[in-house]
Amino acid sequence: MIRLKLLAATALIAGTAQMAAAQEKVSWWYEQATPDQQKLIQQHIVEPFAKANPDYNLVIDYRGNELDKQLRVAMLSGNGPDVVYTAGPSYVAPMAQSGQLMPLDDYAAKYKWQDRILPVFLKMGEYNGKIYALPKTYETLGLFYNKTLFAQKNWQPPKTLDELETLADAMLKDGITPFAAGNANWRGANEWFVTLALNSVAGPENLNKALRGEMPWTSEPFVKAIDRLNSWWQKGYFGKNYFSLTSSEDTADAMATGRAGMMPTGTWQFQNVATYGKKAGSDAGFVGFPSASGDPVFPLGIGSTFSIAAKAKNPDGAAAAINFVFSPEVYGTMNSAWQGEWNIPLKDISNVKMASEVTPLFTETMKSLSAAVNDGKYGYSTWTFLPPATDSYLINGIEEVWLNKITTADFLAKIDESFQKEMKAGKTPAVPAR
Amino acid sequence: MHRLYVLPTLIINAVIIAIPALLTVALAFFEWDGISTPVFVGLDNFRALWDDSVFWTALTNNIIWTLIFLTVPIAMGLLAATMMLVARRGSKFFQVIYFLPVIIATAITGRVWQAMIYSPVTGVTGLLQRMGIDISNPLTETSSALYGIAVVDLWHWWGFLCVIFFAALRQVPAEQIEASRIEGATFFQTIRYVLLPGIMPTITLMMIMTVIWSFLVFDFVYILTQGGPAYSSEVLSTFAYRSAFYDLAVGKAAAISVVISLFGLAATIFYIRAQATEFEK
Repeated sequence: MIRLKLLAATALIAGTAQMAAAQEKVSWWYEQATPDQQKLIQQHIVEPFAKANPDYNLVIDYRGNELDKQLRVAMLSGNGPDVVYTAGPSYVAPMAQSGQLMPLDDYAAKYKWQDRILPVFLKMGEYNGKIYALPKTYETLGLFYNKTLFAQKNWQPPKTLDELETLADAMLKDGITPFAAGNANWRGANEWFVTLALNSVAGPENLNKALRGEMPWTSEPFVKAIDRLNSWWQKGYFGKNYFSLTSSEDTADAMATGRAGMMPTGTWQFQNVATYGKKAGSDAGFVGFPSASGDPVFPLGIGSTFSIAAKAKNPDGAAAAINFVFSPEVYGTMNSAWQGEWNIPLKDISNVKMASEVTPLFTETMKSLSAAVNDGKYGYSTWTFLPPATDSYLINGIEEVWLNKITTADFLAKIDESFQKEMKAGKTPAVPAR
Repeated sequence: MHRLYVLPTLIINAVIIAIPALLTVALAFFEWDGISTPVFVGLDNFRALWDDSVFWTALTNNIIWTLIFLTVPIAMGLLAATMMLVARRGSKFFQVIYFLPVIIATAITGRVWQAMIYSPVTGVTGLLQRMGIDISNPLTETSSALYGIAVVDLWHWWGFLCVIFFAALRQVPAEQIEASRIEGATFFQTIRYVLLPGIMPTITLMMIMTVIWSFLVFDFVYILTQGGPAYSSEVLSTFAYRSAFYDLAVGKAAAISVVISLFGLAATIFYIRAQATEFEK
């Protein structure tokens, strides 16, 4: 009897497998996503993709925070997914270097990506002159501020660094923390502030040179940038509880309630800013981070990238899936529901339909960012453009500067040493010319 | 024929312990990013560690950690266990209470302490701050971060030692304790001359395991501070982890792991020797 049941079960399984085989499976490992977010991906990507491409069966596997490590082991053994999803261009370079990824140039021609995707981003996915990755989302850093509080105190959002410092000093006097900031949940938050200082004090031109290895990181503009950032820390702009607050919820709450006046952070914070602003009954504004000249610089960052594994079982299906994500429909539906994470670098977003409840502040910011990138007026985020070990040191080393364990010169010397070593090993991500 | 019985465990051991361990030792002499082909670099990884101040901070922290855990929880466990032995009433209740933190998952213990005790927003620290007491979250000061983590681990750990010691103490022959009482020994004399010698092998074993575990400590440090701020609570295992998965320097991480195992090896040799002398007696 048991044997009969077993036989029946085997036949059933074999039957379903046969049915599924009619559709070719395309596998894609995704990072951490809450059940609600998984539902969004299912509704707005997987289901419409299945409708548009009946030959392929897109299967998304949520691997959580361990995606990067699992991916690396799987790629080594040749058992990875078809769609390779990494945390940024600095992860792509070593994979491309060791031949684990497929060049995408043929697919780029087939799907006309050159016409549809912002050229800077195609350039950033290049390695040795071939395209290996497409960025899924791009982001920038700027300065949120509590509009309600600013109106009350008759403050203006700062444009230059001097204005920023005068304003912050005034806030300190009133017992308000100038910057809502914290790194308790994400140590990487440290580099947001380093990125801001490097872009607004040293400037993107100098950064571009340093990132191409034409200028050492120990040069004067960078010394000035780190010194200035450190002076903000020493004056207490970042508040007493930086190491205890989360970079997402706690900081958004601190700014919304007026305990802090401003929040230097990224476009991924829009959702929290809206949520906590509603709760506290305050309004928020967003401006580019002040700079020496007064023109804001938007440091460009890439959240994650798509590639196709060299040993992909179904490369055509993977390319079709990636191509599907790069559409105004996906941009509109995903960005409306999940702001900041699906800011796909499309050239033309004029046809995009966004849901009505999305804050106009977000839509405006994204439009001005896309324009700035198109005009070549953008800065560089450390997490996108620095190679992995240098970036990892930058995150931890800046704490040593803030807590007076090392000097700015020591810090930059170590950054430079690590950067030159990684540059020689071919681990630095591509930097488009300015 | 009966030797075949060891075969299954031997195979499992070889596949999941011996081979990876040997590979790790070998990798310590290579430069490898986890992706491309490893390059042989000889002793370079160890030389780089020697010059790395973070390595020395981590090693010092591991030694401090070992010293703390060799003394505080063992003393607390012994004291509570002897007290439970003397005052039998309610000892079951206290055993359960003391042991409870051991069975709570590490991540939960860490988060509870972080949010309910240390946090200046939601925790006791914040409450005291609002009452006007100038106190800061110990995890955020370079001078106290390691001790802040040690307190959490102690809270979670000492109950285990207490229960182990209590079990051992109950094996001490009742006649010996009775005799000492008739002879007029005080409570502390009983502990010193009867109970402690009676459970010495258990204490030695626990101390040696403490040394090994202290060099492996990872969970609480990683959950509470990730080795920060400014590397002040870095230990060897978090340092190895960061090297391997953030810096993509797998060879360096392997070299750190080799250093960790050297300390464990020293403790193990010490233990085996101690065992051997005991047998000779």
